[in-house]
Amino acid sequence: MQLSQLWRTTTARLTVLYSLVFALGVVALLGMVYLQSTVYLTRRVDGILRVEANALAASPPAELPRLIDDALALNGAQINIYGLFSSDGRPLAGNLRALPPRLQPGGPPVETPPSRSFPANARLIALALPSGRTLVVGRDVNQLREMRSIIASALAWTGPSILLIGLGLGVAFSIAPLRRLRLMQAAARDIAAGDLKRRMPISQNRDELDMFASTVNYMMGEVERLMTEVKSASDTIAHDLRTPLTRARAQLHRLQQTRAGQDEDIDRIIGEIDSVLARFRALLRISELEARERRAGFTTVDLSEIARQAVDLYLPLAETEGVQLRLRPTRPVQIEADPKLLFEAVSNLLDNAIKFTAHRPVPQEPAPQAKVEVSLVLEGQVPQIVVRDNGPGIPERERSAVLQRFYRAEDKRLIAGSGLGLSIVAAIMRLHRFTLEFHDAEPGLKAVIVCHPPHEGSAEGFPKT
Amino acid sequence: MAPKILIIEDDVETAEEIGELLLASGFAPRQSFDGREGLQLALEEEFDAITLDRMLPSCDGLEVVRRLREAGRHTPVLMVSALGDVDDRVSGLRAGGDDYMIKPFAPAELVARLEVMLRRKSHGEPQLVLKVGDLELDLVSREALRSGRRIELLPREFKLLDYMMRNAGQVLSRRMIFEAVWEYYFDPGTNVIEVHVARLRKKIDIPGEAPLIHTQRGSGYVIDAA
Repeated sequence: MQLSQLWRTTTARLTVLYSLVFALGVVALLGMVYLQSTVYLTRRVDGILRVEANALAASPPAELPRLIDDALALNGAQINIYGLFSSDGRPLAGNLRALPPRLQPGGPPVETPPSRSFPANARLIALALPSGRTLVVGRDVNQLREMRSIIASALAWTGPSILLIGLGLGVAFSIAPLRRLRLMQAAARDIAAGDLKRRMPISQNRDELDMFASTVNYMMGEVERLMTEVKSASDTIAHDLRTPLTRARAQLHRLQQTRAGQDEDIDRIIGEIDSVLARFRALLRISELEARERRAGFTTVDLSEIARQAVDLYLPLAETEGVQLRLRPTRPVQIEADPKLLFEAVSNLLDNAIKFTAHRPVPQEPAPQAKVEVSLVLEGQVPQIVVRDNGPGIPERERSAVLQRFYRAEDKRLIAGSGLGLSIVAAIMRLHRFTLEFHDAEPGLKAVIVCHPPHEGSAEGFPKT
Repeated sequence: MAPKILIIEDDVETAEEIGELLLASGFAPRQSFDGREGLQLALEEEFDAITLDRMLPSCDGLEVVRRLREAGRHTPVLMVSALGDVDDRVSGLRAGGDDYMIKPFAPAELVARLEVMLRRKSHGEPQLVLKVGDLELDLVSREALRSGRRIELLPREFKLLDYMMRNAGQVLSRRMIFEAVWEYYFDPGTNVIEVHVARLRKKIDIPGEAPLIHTQRGSGYVIDAA
């Protein structure tokens, strides 16, 4: 892992940004403390000096040298400064040998560096006495200066060190997410290399990376499902198309051998090839439907009219097949849909129902009257088109498989059909965001088209994290 | 005289195939492999019908038919396309095409559709009664009579008979029937249309009478007195 990569993680950037803000805050706080404390302490010293100087100035002039000596003896010559100077600047008493040049009698306090007469930094004020002499009172301010420099150096150090710590923490904090990202990248590489079963790792944190990973995993599930469908579709295409083509070839071969124009043989060959072509047409139809823009043919549709027309189309076929087909009368139900496609879907369901109810794979004794019924129900506010038969039904484990392309239950292979009808229905359902459900009609199958209103189920299927 | 058909198709092989087919079916075909050139030909010469590929390199099929109509030519146009969606069909017909056919197609169907188009063109006057042999269909009273015998028809049966009789003598595929009578454009189950025709036949051709509705093996149905 390179530092530059670590730095690019959001965690690192946020940590450093936060520590920068924190450092600025601390520096501002310390700065305030520095300013306030130095100003306060300096004022206090100046106040003491002024009180002392005024007290000394108020004493009789003749006693002043003695008072200064007493004060020096009492307070110590190392901490305090007292000085009395004649009007021409000569020292008369105290521990200051000369008047500092900047010090003005009656002027503001002045700070002096260490000198021969006083070995430390001192703060001095001067007062002009009525006798023309000058009184100087001062104090050692080394303590004050030291405090100032302590605060100043704290000020200088804390900012950068907080920043440094933040930088370190940022790097440390981003190692874990970056490592997880690495695992995800590895998973993505595996997926890209063709391992569609691979999924993104998800931790216990349920953080944003996990949310993202689970969305990607959901997507991969769909991709895998589609890929499996495509693969099984091409397998079945190969299998399903080989049979009629092989038969057609055998018949052609026989014709070639006999050289006699046998109409029946030719008819059969045409029939076989027609069934192959029908399958290709259905496949093309499915991809057409899947590539279609969703609402292109949408309009307000009366479901009862569609059901009526579909029954009208299939009634003769049902009668020929000995199936009792009936439409349960309903009131008109208006929805938004593509009428042609919805009709195609209902037709396909009816075609299947009639086909499978009429040709029972296992003849029952005595055979009950084969029945198919189309009805329209409102489940809550959601309209449903129900095609119900009393045929063999679909076992529960096969119900999702029948929607895949070319799927036909093994025992139903004998019945003519492309095996693509339900895939066409499924494609039409997807286009409408409707759902197709299969239920047990006891006995038989109940196929239900659930016409969800447009606003429902828009984010359907996405995982909730 | 053989009807003159202009084939506008950029794929040489397909064009040749259609050409041979039409020649064998008694038409006088003429090919053009380019949209602009085809349009030029269609404007210069008088053709009885045009088959037009939807996707052409220089000038799109829709554009060809639109320009042809703008020039005031009413030559029937059969559009042939690999695009089979309802929307494509609608846009093709809206641009001025008379019929629309999806590739790949059965040769017999192309011929059938062309013949239906030519027949439609030759009918100048709107007809009130259709006749095939001793069968009559009154389009105003919506009654069918065969040798004076009244035949009760359901609305859909009437529409089916109407379509077949307008194209008498012409083989009509199941798909053509489904598109014309039901106006849906998907592949209905093989048997569905068969059964509808069989029912109609049962009403029209009762035993003892010469059958009028014939099944053409592998291609479709035809109503004919012969």
